[in-house]
Amino acid sequence: MTNLKNLLVTAVALSFVAAIFAQEKEVPPAGGTPKDFTLPATNSFGLENGLQGTLVEFGSVPKATIRIIVRSGNLNEGKQTWLADLSADFLIEGTSNRSAEDIAKAAAAMGGQVNVGVGEDQTTISADVLAEFAPDMVKLLADIVRNPAFPASELERLKRDRLRQLSIAKTQPQQMAVAEFRKALYGDHPYGRMLPAEEQLAAYTLDDARNFYNNNFGAQRTQIYVAGMFDAAATRAAIESGFTDWRKGPDVLIDLPKRATGKVVVDVVDRPDASQSDIMLGLPTIAPGHEDWIPLQITNSLLGGSFSSRITSNIREDKGYTYSPFSSISTRYQDAYWVQSAAVTTDVTGAALKEIVYEIDNLQKNPPTAEELDGIKNYAAGIFVLQNSTPGGIINMLSYLELQELPDTYLTDYVSEVYAVTPRQVSEIAQTYLREEDMTLAVIGDRSQVSEQVEPYVRGEEE
Amino acid sequence: MLTRIMMLLAAILLSACQSKDGPAAGQPSATSTTTTSAFQVPIQYHTLDNGLKVVLSQDKTTPIVTVAVYYNIGFRIEPRERTGFAHLFEHMMFQGSQNLGKMEFVNLVQSNGGVLNGSTRFDYTNYFEIVPSHKLETMLWAEADRMRSLDITQDNLTNQQGVVKNEVKVNVLNTPYGGFPWLDMPQYANVNWYNSHNFYGDLDDLDAASLDDVADFFQQYYAPNNAALAIVGDFEYADALRLVEKYFGAISRSAQEIKLPDISEPRQEAGKRASRLDPQATRPGFAFAYHVPERLTPEWYAMGLLDQILLQGEDSLLNQVLVKNEGITAEIEGGINALLGNMLNYQGPMLWLASFIHDADVEEDRIVAALDGVIQTVQNAPIDAETLQRAKVKWRSSFYNDVSATFGFGRADLLASLALYDDDPERINRFEAEMTNVTPEMIQKTAQEYLRSSNRTILVLEAGASSGNAEVAAND
Repeated sequence: MTNLKNLLVTAVALSFVAAIFAQEKEVPPAGGTPKDFTLPATNSFGLENGLQGTLVEFGSVPKATIRIIVRSGNLNEGKQTWLADLSADFLIEGTSNRSAEDIAKAAAAMGGQVNVGVGEDQTTISADVLAEFAPDMVKLLADIVRNPAFPASELERLKRDRLRQLSIAKTQPQQMAVAEFRKALYGDHPYGRMLPAEEQLAAYTLDDARNFYNNNFGAQRTQIYVAGMFDAAATRAAIESGFTDWRKGPDVLIDLPKRATGKVVVDVVDRPDASQSDIMLGLPTIAPGHEDWIPLQITNSLLGGSFSSRITSNIREDKGYTYSPFSSISTRYQDAYWVQSAAVTTDVTGAALKEIVYEIDNLQKNPPTAEELDGIKNYAAGIFVLQNSTPGGIINMLSYLELQELPDTYLTDYVSEVYAVTPRQVSEIAQTYLREEDMTLAVIGDRSQVSEQVEPYVRGEEE
Repeated sequence: MLTRIMMLLAAILLSACQSKDGPAAGQPSATSTTTTSAFQVPIQYHTLDNGLKVVLSQDKTTPIVTVAVYYNIGFRIEPRERTGFAHLFEHMMFQGSQNLGKMEFVNLVQSNGGVLNGSTRFDYTNYFEIVPSHKLETMLWAEADRMRSLDITQDNLTNQQGVVKNEVKVNVLNTPYGGFPWLDMPQYANVNWYNSHNFYGDLDDLDAASLDDVADFFQQYYAPNNAALAIVGDFEYADALRLVEKYFGAISRSAQEIKLPDISEPRQEAGKRASRLDPQATRPGFAFAYHVPERLTPEWYAMGLLDQILLQGEDSLLNQVLVKNEGITAEIEGGINALLGNMLNYQGPMLWLASFIHDADVEEDRIVAALDGVIQTVQNAPIDAETLQRAKVKWRSSFYNDVSATFGFGRADLLASLALYDDDPERINRFEAEMTNVTPEMIQKTAQEYLRSSNRTILVLEAGASSGNAEVAAND
């Protein structure tokens, strides 16, 4: 390897010289004419008990994605943190008709597996199957969602699994940062209670789990989405026969959080000898549906929400402080916060924060050029097409509209609203919604090395 | 491994350990004439005069197109004194070429409405963009520009050394279970240095990389005759081929013959056990790995189904025993080329591995006994017809997921891999039939030879932290 290397040095040097002395740079070819993008057609229907179904025939690969989304999540726990998760664990542990092993084998024989996920506002029961099995999988999922058996024999095992997960979560710096940040923003509201105490989790009973299900699952909280390739008529018939006689169940619970109105002081959580600090800097912001919602998305993409964004260009591509910085707007039902996250090398924790704050401040004071903003708009329009180009993506988009009570025109007008954003508006959005003086900072790192570095940003005594 | 945008898959070409005719015992017989699956990937395949392999696959579902360039340089064959260099170099490919300065490549893709990424795997380094379909020409121009003319400064290199060191910290050094088992296990299970070094790189080696190394590596491996280009999506075949010729046709072949090291692994004759202490972990981890049969042999197809029978999904035997019956863990993760790709996108020696985290009071002997018990069931008797059929259905479903993953990139990944390794992307349409042909006897024979305990490596992660951080957002 070494000999070969020496031989090659000359040739390589020549090619580099050629590059340096090239006269003028070529201009990238513009490409062809944009093609029309049409949103996939949807077929929605409702049952008398309030359950709603949506079918989207889409794509060229013979598979179907089925998701049942129930408006029951961690929000519905109150202070019983992770009870929604423990309760949902039982969904694949058997029904009044099938054992857990029966469920697993039946799903596998269709090329799928039943997955259950609990979020802040929703529980999702889903499966991907080969196209020909979509109606049969709907029937299986109906049994799972409607008739869970809650076998007492599985309680201790499932709790042990959750306790193990909790123990691990409390050692993972990114999860720790989210827990701290959320607690500061939402306090005792379920959105702020990311992790239970061990004793609390260990004390949950079978009745707790079953009662949570009984109090929160029902037809009028439930949406079923099927997207991909499948027999639409047979699948609709399976939904109707599987769910028509399900109980209506409770109304959707609305419990909006009281949110922090200004900077909250969060002490550095100590991870002795940590080689990086995990930081989250942000604040509550407007909810989906607000007239500034799309301009805020664009502002976020330009500031820190894309690879070519200003903060990423600065602290990654210029300074090399970090690998994967990103800003995002995290949403729940009629609630959102903006946050910049990054894992930065310990000794440049303060320096990284300084650059982040500089970029926010600079955007507030100086509108971007039309060229820079146009690039971000094109990016947003392209992402929108991608988001509507897979069965899972299409379901995500439709269920987002449903959860946030957005009209269909949100989708049809999205691209034109993106292109209507002006440079001045971006600066105004940054001034109005990205107020550095109101931002809360959570830091997970080596306290002895970073406390002084982050002090001005934690307390807000100076910029 | 470049950005956070998306998870990737992967594989690559001619290894020194395998004859060009392929393994005599392993040639599939009469594949294309037996079962043909209903689902077929449309393919046009060309090789340019300079050796660039070009695979085109139309899909007009959505007006988007994926452009993927695969170079036959995986991390396992990087230079001995430069661990982690293949991956560091991947970052260099975003730092500037003749006509695109630093950040200009990224900006070009994003401002045209696209996403991009690159990654480094066992047997390839890849780069791809997914863009609105009318921007195909723009992306071909840009990929051709950096294939022809890398242009890197010391500042760019120093910057990316910082970025990559932060990547290693965030993914490995500063997190519990970092690198377990995907980065650790090959280092214990393999004996050939090329398969068993630290692919992410020692921090000292990363610091030692020079501009000469960058130029040398580019010259050696980044040439059209060492690459495959896959285009998947909404385009016309004749237009795409014309544009590929226009932008890539004039790029020169590599000046020297591309020499690849011997990456073969000897047959493992004795079981191995290793452990490492993770001072950040509160619960122990357990991982195991077996060397898998050579690609494309009947045993290898059988191994693909054994993976389904034993490990994939809730119904698999290991899940039923370790999760449901024994309650040792909540989930087992793994597979062939797991965590870095799938069974269809690598070339060369490979592991079937799995791992999980368990409580401290579960003793290692109990885990090994449970594992042995499961393995023995597939060794001692032919698998029953129902279980085998279920495995075949699961494999097909999972294959369709791979083919449709990430907006068409998954399809491009398999096509480029098969072009690079086998000069045969059409193989993608024969895998289903090969799997259909696997018999219970072949499953049993493969389990007996390849799931021997003497072909196994166990890696134990010892938990060095007593408990999680008590300060973290505790709620009462």
